[in-house]
Amino acid sequence: MACSCSCGGDCKVTLLYACSGAANTGLLADQVSRALSGRGVGGMTCLSGVAAGLSGFVVSAQEADKNVVIDGCKVGCGARIFKEKGLPFEHVVITDFGVTKGETPVTAELVELVSDQIAQRIA
Amino acid sequence: MMKVQILGTGCPKCKALEANAIKAIEDASLDAVIEKITDIDQIMDMGVMMTPALAVDGEVLSVGKVLNKDQVLALVKGGR
Repeated sequence: MACSCSCGGDCKVTLLYACSGAANTGLLADQVSRALSGRGVGGMTCLSGVAAGLSGFVVSAQEADKNVVIDGCKVGCGARIFKEKGLPFEHVVITDFGVTKGETPVTAELVELVSDQIAQRIA
Repeated sequence: MMKVQILGTGCPKCKALEANAIKAIEDASLDAVIEKITDIDQIMDMGVMMTPALAVDGEVLSVGKVLNKDQVLALVKGGR
């Protein structure tokens, strides 16, 4: 992650949450989130932990400088979780990047391409 | 007995939070013990993404902040 510890200074903490749903779009959301985390764009953490109301996940989301919720499709389950919990977030939807739910194959090239675009958007 | 947990890998800010928590407990004569959690896997398992963090009996109450003594006491006695 870009910064996981407030001990070192004034770095900004961006947390990434992927819907990781069953469709190709959910898979892509997950893989893009992992790719962005690997690049240091942000730190991937568990959307389901937030949904379950586990205190560490919820308080981390409250204190992060930025939460980016990556949903696979327009259903927007991740965004709904954050709205329900009253947590601030930026929303990214995989189908906004030319990906069709249930059709577009998830390839390494696509993960790279979408990751590039999201990284630019949330910078 | 209440367990006040300090989550951090051992950096100066983690130690500062621990010191403030100890002082809060001592000054208020709370029936509590301090537990230091330094293992990063355990910290991540608790969903904490920024350290230092403070939890009470497994419930995370603060993340990424060096709380002062009064802030620790307020959280420990009354939740967030």
